[in-house]
Amino acid sequence: MSRRLLLGVVGVAVLTGVLFFAFARGFGRDPHEVPFMLKGKPAPDFTLTRLDTGQTLTLAQLRGQPVVLNFWASWCGPCKLDHPVLARAARRYQNDARFFAVVFEDTPENARGFAPLDPSFPVLIDPQSRMAVDYGVTGVPETYFIDAQGIIRDKYVGPLVDEVEIARRLKAVSEPLVSGVSR
Amino acid sequence: MKGTLGYAFVLGGLLCAVFGAVVGIEGGLRRRSATRAWVERAATGFFLCMLGANLTMVWALVAHDFSVHYVSQVGSRATPLVYTVVSLWSALEGSILFWGAILGVYLFAFARAQARVGDRTVQLALGAMLGAATFFAFLIAGPANPFSAVAPVPPDGPGPNPLLQNHVLMVIHPPMLYCGYVGMTVPFGIAVAALLDGRLGEAWLVRLRRWTLVAWTFLTVGIILGSWWAYAVLGWGGYWAWDPVENASFLPWLTATAFLHSTMVQERRRILKLWTLSLALGSFALTVLGTFMTRSGIFNSVHSFTQSDIGPTFLVFLAVVVAVSIALLAVRGPQLAAEDELPGVASRETAILVNNLLFAALTFTVLLGTVFPLLREAFSGVRVSVGAPYFNRMAVPLGIAILFLMGVGPSLPWGRAEADVWRRQFLIPAGIGLAVLVACLGAGLRGWGPLTVFALAGFAGTVTLRELLLPVWVRMREKGEKPWTSLARSAARSRRRTGGYLVHLAMVLVFVAIAASSSYVQHTTGTLAPGETLTLGGYTVRFLGLQEGAEPHRRWVAARVEVTRPGAGRTLAPRMNFYERSTDPVGSPAVGSTAFEDIYLTLLAFGQDARGGTASFNVWTFPLVGWIWWSIPLFVLGALVAAWPQRRAVSALEGERAKASADAARGTA
Repeated sequence: MSRRLLLGVVGVAVLTGVLFFAFARGFGRDPHEVPFMLKGKPAPDFTLTRLDTGQTLTLAQLRGQPVVLNFWASWCGPCKLDHPVLARAARRYQNDARFFAVVFEDTPENARGFAPLDPSFPVLIDPQSRMAVDYGVTGVPETYFIDAQGIIRDKYVGPLVDEVEIARRLKAVSEPLVSGVSR
Repeated sequence: MKGTLGYAFVLGGLLCAVFGAVVGIEGGLRRRSATRAWVERAATGFFLCMLGANLTMVWALVAHDFSVHYVSQVGSRATPLVYTVVSLWSALEGSILFWGAILGVYLFAFARAQARVGDRTVQLALGAMLGAATFFAFLIAGPANPFSAVAPVPPDGPGPNPLLQNHVLMVIHPPMLYCGYVGMTVPFGIAVAALLDGRLGEAWLVRLRRWTLVAWTFLTVGIILGSWWAYAVLGWGGYWAWDPVENASFLPWLTATAFLHSTMVQERRRILKLWTLSLALGSFALTVLGTFMTRSGIFNSVHSFTQSDIGPTFLVFLAVVVAVSIALLAVRGPQLAAEDELPGVASRETAILVNNLLFAALTFTVLLGTVFPLLREAFSGVRVSVGAPYFNRMAVPLGIAILFLMGVGPSLPWGRAEADVWRRQFLIPAGIGLAVLVACLGAGLRGWGPLTVFALAGFAGTVTLRELLLPVWVRMREKGEKPWTSLARSAARSRRRTGGYLVHLAMVLVFVAIAASSSYVQHTTGTLAPGETLTLGGYTVRFLGLQEGAEPHRRWVAARVEVTRPGAGRTLAPRMNFYERSTDPVGSPAVGSTAFEDIYLTLLAFGQDARGGTASFNVWTFPLVGWIWWSIPLFVLGALVAAWPQRRAVSALEGERAKASADAARGTA
């Protein structure tokens, strides 16, 4: 075998070896995982209209108690699962936190037809879904947990149908933030 | 029942593949001709079994038999029939099953086409291909089994991924691409057979080239259709994002294109043998790599399939393919030494060699950019992404150089060029290129990138047209033929040459379209209340109002807009589709196409505010973008002309003679 040929063969073998090592290391990672950048940051303010009363509501008005924001839409299948669970939690914890259901990419009429209007779990209209963009919503349902100081502590992606999970997160959001890191 | 039947077909296919691979390679190495008939039977058996398995799956899909695992994943009673059928390839397991069917068709076709060839490498080649088929059959039977039973049987399923049931291109783009990918198995088999057999004469080269051309054509059409699909469905306002999966299809295309060129040099000069075979083997390895990328779940991509456990199995197969290729090339390397040398700098051989180096550099660049995030994470744990700027900065100069060579190569003669070749061959095309540049500047176009491409396209386009039409003109003059007769006969006499130049012409179109649509794109966004307008590049976009609708499988909101330009007007309706199983709306852009420009609208958001029902739009204008997909017929025509089987063997000299008489004519003109 000529020297050049040998060199070429060894070179290609080494390069593919490195590549294979990287591939093998890559198994099990989730390339679609998007880091949640707003965690621990002040929640962007919003001014939205309540579907039931027509009153406007801002985040600043809610300062002083934890806020749970659930983004949802009437066309969304999984939202049908977690909306009633969250409504029940909203009633149970009405003294501890405020719950809101923010409509995502949907019309007020559809929203009205979807859920029984519940004063403990009011529906907010987000025209053009601008607030959803501010909050970095990637799809529905997504639920944000904001503490009494207006800091986003956590978000839950997907239908939140486990009441124990809701209680755990509410407890966490009610505890003070330790050195900028939520537990 | 359907699940059991389908699985029985898969097992039958696996059996045929194992049997055929063992018998084919063993019999081929021992040079026993008696076994060949059995290998051919195994190939036919594999084909029939895979066909049966696929038809069974389609039957299960159409019958909504949710007891079959794959149907329960992608089926839905609400999905329209056509998308139910094509959901065969809309998810991981089904796409691999479909892959098996295409592989079966190729194996059957190859066995039929070579039926009269007495060469014993045919059974070696079939054996090697059935070796690859063994892997896929094993995958379908084991890790990616679509036929497993589901209990309890669900009443309905989620339906296919919404993005995959949104456009009719989904019906043809994946099969085309798969035909390209899977088709590379045939050149791989031929190359492995030639290397195993050790008789590295020229007989296998013709076969290798023709089958590579078949796969290359499907791959080309598949890639262009894919970019069209991305443009028409995804709605981000583009057709190519250097996404890992797009790159995965581009990589084997690059090496196969390089192969189709280097094979000409090998044929004439008997040099670059090792290189040409490496390209053939590499193209297959890259298709396997591409499939691995799409299906392993380790790449972040718009259309990678979900997380799956078939990645490691695929990696082992890829390792085997690469190891076998390297080992064969190493062992046979000394027999593949060059028998001649390059005739000189100013020769077509050198131009093709440079072309091959550019294609290799481009392949390496794209591969590096695609796998870099993985390499970085594997070695330093840092997550990075490599975006379009890297690819564009690296690929654009290489692409421009390739376009330049498309004018230079065909203008240079095989062998040593005479001193006045520059004056005779280059003066007019270069002048036309320059004229194009001046015309573009005069029309107010700016930017060195696109202007370089337009000028070089003028140069390369002129050369290509000259090479295509000069032999026609010579025939007309010398034989007094009518133009069409002369064209047909000239094409028939030198098919590879004519086909090749038709493909070059299509490629020039694509270059111009990419340069124009990416450099002179205009973009704006706006939120409009009914009756309000926005303007962009001579278009006026008036929002007419929102419209809602429902179909069994989705609801939608469309924004009706009137797009007007001096002399023309039309109504477009970009929309958002809401699928129950989807976490966010799936947009459908609306495109108004004309021969020279597209206006492209997407609905970003809608809602009620003080002004009423408003809608927000993204609006783009893309000059010449449609030329990219309109080039498809020209690519296909060129490939058909080049690959069409001929009754008598073509000597390479024939094309040469046509060229010589054309040169003579030029000398006297």
